[in-house]
Amino acid sequence: MPHGDFHPVLFIIVAVWVLACGVGVVALRNIVHSAMAMVACFLGVAAAYVLLDAGLLAIIQILVYVGAISVVVLFAIMLTEQQRTGRGFYFNRQSIVALPLAVATFVLVTVVLVTAKMPPVSSHAHNVSLAGIASGLFNAYVFPFELVSIVLLSAMVGAIVLARKEID
Amino acid sequence: MNPVDWYLTLATALFCVGAYGVLARRNVVLIVMSLELMLNAVNLALAAFADFMPGAAGRGTFFVLFIITLAAAEVTVGLAIIVANYRNRRSVQADEFSEMKG
Repeated sequence: MPHGDFHPVLFIIVAVWVLACGVGVVALRNIVHSAMAMVACFLGVAAAYVLLDAGLLAIIQILVYVGAISVVVLFAIMLTEQQRTGRGFYFNRQSIVALPLAVATFVLVTVVLVTAKMPPVSSHAHNVSLAGIASGLFNAYVFPFELVSIVLLSAMVGAIVLARKEID
Repeated sequence: MNPVDWYLTLATALFCVGAYGVLARRNVVLIVMSLELMLNAVNLALAAFADFMPGAAGRGTFFVLFIITLAAAEVTVGLAIIVANYRNRRSVQADEFSEMKG
């Protein structure tokens, strides 16, 4: 099995997995179940990165999304959860309009993508190597790299300031 | 269809699922989770472009790395705001936050 080839069967399995878990996130009533579906969906996206021959992205996806963001989301659920029942509690009034809108957007974008004249694409994935990513991050992309680290630091400090308890 | 089209179709579908969640759900934490789904869909599209377009020269990979970092920052600040708001209002229902409504 050479790297970068397109495997229809593996792709279909991953796609069905990702979409089923994604629908689970937006459709399940219990928000903890939604969070678990979100974790499964992130794992499916990591599998899609592996199919794209982007192993580093898959590892970072698992580390950041499955490892870190999911835990933060679960903490937020623990700190805020309320238990109630009834459809009106989970979905707002515009949810009836939202479903056809989302489906129409999907159909529109897909039709445009399939009929568009794209620049020549290969049927074989050319992935940038790990060394290429490293040298890119510290040469061409060094300014966004530093900028993003400042954003991350200020977000960390801001989250602590926002979420701490007021001391009277 | 090219292989890249299949990946883009999957990314579009995931993006629309996330958009439906943002539009239709009331819980703010769930809206943030749906936003994460949309960001994942965009990342998937960028990774597909980076790998299948020879002219892209792998630039999409850098975009994905920066988007993941910014998504982590966004989710921490967003959830901190939600928790702080919950302390004041005892609610996480998006349509109950209406003080700024004219």
